[in-house]
Amino acid sequence: MSQLLEATFWSATVAGGLRLATPLIYASIGETFAQRAGVLNLGLEGYMIIGALTSLYVADPTVAPLGFLVGGLAGMALAALMVLLSIRLFANQVVVGFGLTILGIGTTGYIFHVTTDVGGRDRQVSLPSEIDIPLLSDIPWLGDAVFGHSWYTWLSLALVLLAGFVASRTIFGLEVKAVGEDPDAAAAKGVDVLRIRTQATLISGFLGGLGGAALMLGSVGRFQPYLTANRGFIALIVIIMASWSIWGAAVGAFVFGFFEALGFNLNNVFVDVPIEGLNAIPFFVALVILTVSARWARMPRGLGENYVPTV
Amino acid sequence: MTSEPGADPATGTPLSVRGVSRRFGSVQALANVEFTLEAGEIHALVGENGAGKSTLAKIVAGSIRSDSGSMSLFGQPYRPTSRREGAAAGVAHVRQQLSLVRGLTVAQNLQLGRPGAPAIFNAASARAEVERWSDEFSLSVPAETLVDDMPLAVRQQAEILIAVAWGARLLILDEPSSALGPLETRALIALCHRLRSEGTPILYISHRLPELAELADRLTVLRSGRVIVEGADVRAADLREVATLMIGDVSLLEVNRPEIERGTSRLTVNDLSVSSTQEIGCHGLNFEVAGGEILGVVGIAGNGQDSLAKALTGQAKLASGHVVVDGEDISGSARQAIAAGVAHLHEDRSTGLAAAFSVADNATARHVRSGRFTRFGVRLADKIARHAGELVERFQVRPPDPAARASSLSGGNQQKLMAARELEKNPTVLVAHGPTKGLDPEAAKAMRDRCFAAAQAGGAVVVISADLDEVSDLAHRVVVLYRGRVTDAFPIEDMTSERLGAAMAGLTETMGATSG
Repeated sequence: MSQLLEATFWSATVAGGLRLATPLIYASIGETFAQRAGVLNLGLEGYMIIGALTSLYVADPTVAPLGFLVGGLAGMALAALMVLLSIRLFANQVVVGFGLTILGIGTTGYIFHVTTDVGGRDRQVSLPSEIDIPLLSDIPWLGDAVFGHSWYTWLSLALVLLAGFVASRTIFGLEVKAVGEDPDAAAAKGVDVLRIRTQATLISGFLGGLGGAALMLGSVGRFQPYLTANRGFIALIVIIMASWSIWGAAVGAFVFGFFEALGFNLNNVFVDVPIEGLNAIPFFVALVILTVSARWARMPRGLGENYVPTV
Repeated sequence: MTSEPGADPATGTPLSVRGVSRRFGSVQALANVEFTLEAGEIHALVGENGAGKSTLAKIVAGSIRSDSGSMSLFGQPYRPTSRREGAAAGVAHVRQQLSLVRGLTVAQNLQLGRPGAPAIFNAASARAEVERWSDEFSLSVPAETLVDDMPLAVRQQAEILIAVAWGARLLILDEPSSALGPLETRALIALCHRLRSEGTPILYISHRLPELAELADRLTVLRSGRVIVEGADVRAADLREVATLMIGDVSLLEVNRPEIERGTSRLTVNDLSVSSTQEIGCHGLNFEVAGGEILGVVGIAGNGQDSLAKALTGQAKLASGHVVVDGEDISGSARQAIAAGVAHLHEDRSTGLAAAFSVADNATARHVRSGRFTRFGVRLADKIARHAGELVERFQVRPPDPAARASSLSGGNQQKLMAARELEKNPTVLVAHGPTKGLDPEAAKAMRDRCFAAAQAGGAVVVISADLDEVSDLAHRVVVLYRGRVTDAFPIEDMTSERLGAAMAGLTETMGATSG
């Protein structure tokens, strides 16, 4: 119990939270783009798990950065199906999204079994080393908590800055918001609604794939079926908590990671409490945040509705 | 695109339209239209609903293409293939449905879709630009308020402002005053004059004649896709004559009108006002309809018809006044209206029916609270199907399948299904809103016969319609709505193009208003 009063307990929890949040940051930032553009992209879990498996199978014989990149491209390839079926052929977004998630989970499990069971070998990668930032990492407490992360985490934070800039300071960001809020008016202003939605969905697929790859290469190292364990759906919750803001999504992902890490670490303190109860902490917190944020959350008006161009 | 190097874009006639035609399916929307917009003028394009005004505007803006004919813009050949191309050439089209993105601010809308805008959005300079133009035209358009949170009139000003900021050399305003009050309309007129004095010619589309006298320099009348009057001087024009030309000849068609015996008054509308955020509402209406009488309510769409239909069927909260059926006040209560025997043929079949439900459920929907088709709250499917089968037979709904979805029926059969539901018993009052709209001749005749039958059975019938033929086929008496008020009322025998046109275009003094 006294451990809770120690600074190292909390610095370890913050550090663990950021590590656990890393895949969520990639996935929720990408999904925020898709949803701001009006695409309810429920295939996110599928993009992540395809990205995870692909990144391992590429990184195992080559190098991790290549695996990471190709993992993103694999997620994007699955998102291209979303583009084709829902955006271009106007199929129901919810149905296609769930379909892609199931397809991703099933396909990766199948490939994994086929390649490992039948005389294959277990592919794995060694986890990345921490990158210390000189001086800053030496700051007491803060240095332990915030610094000393792998490059996957650092890249995700850089991505937040970039995505925030793109979303609010570029014409592309305005176009994304416009086609999600009011596609008819956006089209009347000469914005190509389907093109913007396509781009936003592909971005979501790419970043979802990167999220899965970051999970695989950054903190797990070897595949198991359904490795992502609902992280794609957690990212969907994060986006709602964040009221579709990029910054909010990054913060929300960290909050989730933090409480997940807290659950793990509390397990060492309260050994009698079942781990399942502690694992439920982030979801309980999410429930509270969702209830409170519903007061101001404003979802994109066109979210989930296909846009069929006239003429 | 359209301007060639060395040409001076400021010279030449701003817009010349030569022999432009456009057909949609079987409808000739525009036929060989000739039209010229001169430099420094506000040119009004007037006509009834469906005359082709908006089609012409869209062709000029580039949203749709003409089938034949040619255009020139400031002396250069002009063939836009998209709205973006039209905008790049300097044509701005401010439409009836405004095209500002509602979830963005005015400053963001300024840069969205703007030809040649840099890829980076500079919020500060966009705000400064909005403020500069807003000051320039003495408006108060907020730069950083979401369009969602702005009143309609300000949205419209913002849209005009953005058009000008984008470098519009020619402005098309499509029904800009239709949702504005008198004060806002005055501000709009002032803005148009200001733009004219800055050298921007305006094509102003409207069917409200009174404001044109003050606003416009010349006018062109379209009727059924043809130019009836081209470029008449507004000051010299007789607006009453223009109004007559707008609607063309009205004649009583050869419809077999049954002789119907007139009873005593069944429907009394007393000082009826409805305020609506959606449309113009209605103000201080007074009329009575006797049993056996068919009253036609005419007017260009959007002049309060929807509010009136809702009020007569108890579906609108009244700002003032009463709707009385057989001595019982049904104001504001749809349930009371149904209990009093008011039947309603909704204008829009997709709203008037539960499209996803079966024919049987729709046909028996008026009984949903009566207990006739339920036992202990459980619906009696057999009884419903049997009763619906009889109704479907009686009203000749095809296919006669009570289990079919209402949405699977053709438009004419949907209308018959709605009639089966509403006219199962003889109504005390029938409110028929556009009862034959979009129907083929056979189905239209069936619906007319239903209206006659309701009157013959002693019901008071109100036919609300923007289609003058429909009204002249059915009605014994006519009232004209303009901006939610009755501008004229007369027996059908007295209906002339002149009288109707003047009342529909707002040239007649409002009559019978006791409030407002």
